[in-house]
Amino acid sequence: MTTPAWLLEREAGLCPCGCIGKRRKGSFVEKTLNGSAGLLRQVMFSDDLAHRPGLLQRIDPRAKVIGFLALLVAVSFVHSPWMLLACYLATLVLAGISGLPVVFFIKRVWLFIPIFTGIVVLPATLSLVTPGEVVLTLWHWNGHAQGFTAQGLRAAALLILRVAGSVSLVVLLTLTTPWARLLAGLRGLGVPKMFILVIGMAYRYLFHLLTSVMDMYEARKARTIGKQAHDRTARRFVAATAGALIGKSHYLAEEVHQAMTARGFRGDSKVLKSFRFGTVEVAWFAGVAVAAALALGGDSLLVR
Amino acid sequence: MHIPDGYLSPQTCGVAFAIAVPTLAVAARKVKRVVKTRHVPTLALFSAVSFLVMMFNIPIPDGTTAHAVGGAVVAIVLGPWAAMISVSVALLFQALLFGDGGVLAYGANVLNIAIVMPVVAYGVYKLISGRAELTSARRVVAAAVAGYVSLTTAAVLTGIELGIQPDLFHDASGTPLYSPYHLAQTIPAMLLAHLLVAGVAEAALTAGVILYLQRANLPLLQVNHPGIDVEATTERRRFRPIVVAGIAVGIMTLLTPLGLLAPGGAFGEDAPEDLNLGSLGLSAVPEGLNRYAGFWQHAIFSGYKLGGETHPWVGYVLSAVIGIVVVGVVVFLIGKAVEAFSRRDTLEKV
Repeated sequence: MTTPAWLLEREAGLCPCGCIGKRRKGSFVEKTLNGSAGLLRQVMFSDDLAHRPGLLQRIDPRAKVIGFLALLVAVSFVHSPWMLLACYLATLVLAGISGLPVVFFIKRVWLFIPIFTGIVVLPATLSLVTPGEVVLTLWHWNGHAQGFTAQGLRAAALLILRVAGSVSLVVLLTLTTPWARLLAGLRGLGVPKMFILVIGMAYRYLFHLLTSVMDMYEARKARTIGKQAHDRTARRFVAATAGALIGKSHYLAEEVHQAMTARGFRGDSKVLKSFRFGTVEVAWFAGVAVAAALALGGDSLLVR
Repeated sequence: MHIPDGYLSPQTCGVAFAIAVPTLAVAARKVKRVVKTRHVPTLALFSAVSFLVMMFNIPIPDGTTAHAVGGAVVAIVLGPWAAMISVSVALLFQALLFGDGGVLAYGANVLNIAIVMPVVAYGVYKLISGRAELTSARRVVAAAVAGYVSLTTAAVLTGIELGIQPDLFHDASGTPLYSPYHLAQTIPAMLLAHLLVAGVAEAALTAGVILYLQRANLPLLQVNHPGIDVEATTERRRFRPIVVAGIAVGIMTLLTPLGLLAPGGAFGEDAPEDLNLGSLGLSAVPEGLNRYAGFWQHAIFSGYKLGGETHPWVGYVLSAVIGIVVVGVVVFLIGKAVEAFSRRDTLEKV
């Protein structure tokens, strides 16, 4: 099931040319609503993807979690920017083989963190922060050339490529594994049952509570005439919404608990165990080992 | 404040996990004992709440918005142990589903945001609110301070973790392998952003939620405040403002010798002969400075050295007392004068 696109569109019903009139946008209520709608769409779409046939989708979730963790550690030990670039390209190939839309995958990775990271590391490329040999002179200060340094640029490239590689690996794991199977995999790896239960239930009720937040915002919007204020009343409304949300969830938790005990819950739960280790998993581990060895071996050659 | 993968070395991540995992295990045991079989739905729902609270954008007076973590709210309503688990699970969602915060860095993020923050928030809240009744304004103030202090603490901790990276992990040419900023850069950056923006948002949210619960949902507040009166029942002994002010001034007077521990003098307050001329690129004390430096030679307790060289702190305390008396008398006289003038003004107008 996917949420229809028209439902998630902003300013539904208004002429896009703006000839009917413009609605003020950019209020914090608007932003939060859009954020939640985007969140719903993203998560629902990625669960669709995880059910498609593909290379990574076939692997046992336990094996996948271990394998990806190993790859993450390997990436964090790589010290050469070229090797990191190769690792990142390898994740793209893996995404392609697994039937993920590669453009969507790249967007998903580069949308959030690496761009943000880029802004964060920009000052580190300057000689003010990272002293070293100046490659591109921007200005002079007390007779010394100041600008981008070789060390600074190298450090920035290392950081951005490492973040991109790591985020790609995590996104690859979550996009190819349905949430329920991922949790079962974590349980199989020895994460305490209580945590798995809490995580699973929190995921379910996240959407429920999100809907009630959206309802509260929508109701306020419907009651508001004129432009939405961005002041003390707005802050009071946000705090009241958060407070009401806490109250609602506390009440809901009581009800859910009663429903659970009525159905025989005694603090214990059963997890479906239909996983097995077969040739696919053995091949996967072999592949992970080869990839990690290549990355670390090639890295030590390049760095030397 | 969520550290992504790649900013921290695997060694740092390992240390963070080594602290976070046992702490969460203790938290799980504590929560299980307190709320019995009810813990699963309660924690699950509060995890969802803390995830959603992290999505709330709070309008800040300058026209921008910032989001709060909400760890302080959950810690006050449910206690620090439950808050640890709720916020950790919310962080897991963010790391796995939205790429906000890393998987290897998950231990570090849990340590900063899910462990240190609720503990600090709860401690500060308890300290300030004391045994005040549930509907008192003191609890709202306590919540605001708790949110502000705890978020800033978590931010400083994040700054420290990021700042130690370049010194510990760099290659032969000195290029940092992970986060490139030093402590001297990360801590001010984190402090500034969180003291001015995010801390204010957290304080506003925490205080606002407590205020709302006082007004609309007292039973929820009572969950984690057993044995505390809802309303003030008996008139409690109140300190008069003058007594409080007197105690504060007294403590400050006794603490003045702390200044002796500080090395060096205040900038721009050196005597001319103490100036480090070499570092300033000067060959002699500037003429004007030399001429006017000794202009006022009639200070009674020059350099606060009343107690002689053997007991410098006696001199400090005595100087402080005399200073307070002198300043107090002057302020009192000015106040009297202003009062007299304004009375004459009003009389004339009438």
